[in-house]
Amino acid sequence: MPEARPWLPEPDSSNRPYFEGAQHGKLRLQQCSDCKDWMFPVRKRCQTCGSTHLQWADACGRGTVYSHALLRREYHPRHAGRLPLVMAQVDLDEGVRVNSNLVDVDPAKVEVGMKVVVTFEHSPTGEAIAVFKPA
Amino acid sequence: MKHPMNSAAAICGLGVTAMGRVYRDAEDLAAEAVYLAIEDAGLKKSDVDGLLINAGVSNAVSIPLHVTLGMQELNVLTFMQGYGSSAGQMIQYAAMAVANGLANYIVCVFADDPLQEGQRTGAAYVGAGRRSAMGSLYPLYGFAGALPMYALAAQRHMDLYGTTQEHFAEIAIGQRKWAAMNPAATKREPLDLAGYNASPWVVQPFHVLDCCLVSNGGVAVIVTTAERARDLKQPPVYLRGFAQAHGHDAGRSDKDAAIHTPAARSAPKALAMADAKLADVTQCQIYDCYTYTVIATLEDYGFCKKGEGGPFVADGKLGPGGALPTNTGGGELSSYYMWGMTPIAEAVIQGRGQGGQRQAKNELILVSGNGGVLNYHSTLALSPRAA
Repeated sequence: MPEARPWLPEPDSSNRPYFEGAQHGKLRLQQCSDCKDWMFPVRKRCQTCGSTHLQWADACGRGTVYSHALLRREYHPRHAGRLPLVMAQVDLDEGVRVNSNLVDVDPAKVEVGMKVVVTFEHSPTGEAIAVFKPA
Repeated sequence: MKHPMNSAAAICGLGVTAMGRVYRDAEDLAAEAVYLAIEDAGLKKSDVDGLLINAGVSNAVSIPLHVTLGMQELNVLTFMQGYGSSAGQMIQYAAMAVANGLANYIVCVFADDPLQEGQRTGAAYVGAGRRSAMGSLYPLYGFAGALPMYALAAQRHMDLYGTTQEHFAEIAIGQRKWAAMNPAATKREPLDLAGYNASPWVVQPFHVLDCCLVSNGGVAVIVTTAERARDLKQPPVYLRGFAQAHGHDAGRSDKDAAIHTPAARSAPKALAMADAKLADVTQCQIYDCYTYTVIATLEDYGFCKKGEGGPFVADGKLGPGGALPTNTGGGELSSYYMWGMTPIAEAVIQGRGQGGQRQAKNELILVSGNGGVLNYHSTLALSPRAA
């Protein structure tokens, strides 16, 4: 067996809170301290009010399936043996739309509007990856 | 009152290189397309005094193209980028420039060389250089390039409105029928539902045949004033109306971006400039990066109600002999993929009446350009007759 390699490069200062949160089972997003808007992925400035006062905060982890599809061709070690992988855009309760996967679900039963909750999967080297399962 | 830009400008030249597995670099393909367009228009290189440049995914054509072309006395020169809406945008800016005397003949050129020997067809589109940890999450989840996002958009349309796989197939099959009549099309062999269904899945609901081709090639279009165009070699194709609409942030849930695209704002503005109604449109050239894009755009343009695009196309009305001939050259799915230049090049051929066996009624041709994941949109209304 070849030695397992990390799935992701090392986080940097801009995104480290996201990955540290994942290690602790928390989905973290940036929130504007001024207008309280949430955003993802990493921003330097609030997209709504322009403020540079952004801080990382724990999202509630709940959301709704905006749409979904099935990955039918694998091209990453994580996909191996998992096709069809359920891909989804999830509308988080905070107003952010994220791309992820749905797990613990029959692919044929996934539909727009399904309520989901975040969970974390670990890579062979221990990285935590946010995915979603039916709520 | 007639809008001052309605029929102020016209397309007078078209240059299209060989398409597909043409293993030449994009800048050389761009240069060839420019020379072909100049010859097509019956102009001399020295007549050209404007150059607008757009590069595709390989991003290998830019300002130095004017040096390659030996154009040293230009009055307009810039590189533009609005992804799939760029080609339509270039023609709009060129039209405004010639109408206001900034230049006389402006060449708008696009070229791309994503196909490299020994590489997989879609390699250039999957995206390289994902250096950050955040960016590296996307391929883990299967989100590489634009394709999965369009597949998810199509699936949402299916879930909300009952759109079926057969509706998407109808787009692919109908356009292949057109391509069979286009000697310049890459894929001309007949296609039926069984053939479509046998095409491998990529990201379900998309088969390979729901996705556009990947092509190397170049296309150039020359824009001048309506007056000048009348005295040239080719029949003028008048720019009756045009518009753009842009927006949407895929990372926010406040818009239904997969379903309601900027096309809905763009087409009414273009038709208003053209002083025309949707019912006046005799054919469409719709940006068809994926089968679903055609359905979403036709709905947003108002040809049918939102959600009814599947049944709308199901009777074959977009294909040969149908009520709304669309993508008459085979489109990006079957002819070649030069981003927004694919629908524009076919519109010019149709507008001149040079479509041969595939010529459709050309009184008013509606042309769309679509970039990003249904984010960026341009519309042109073209006609062989000035208003």
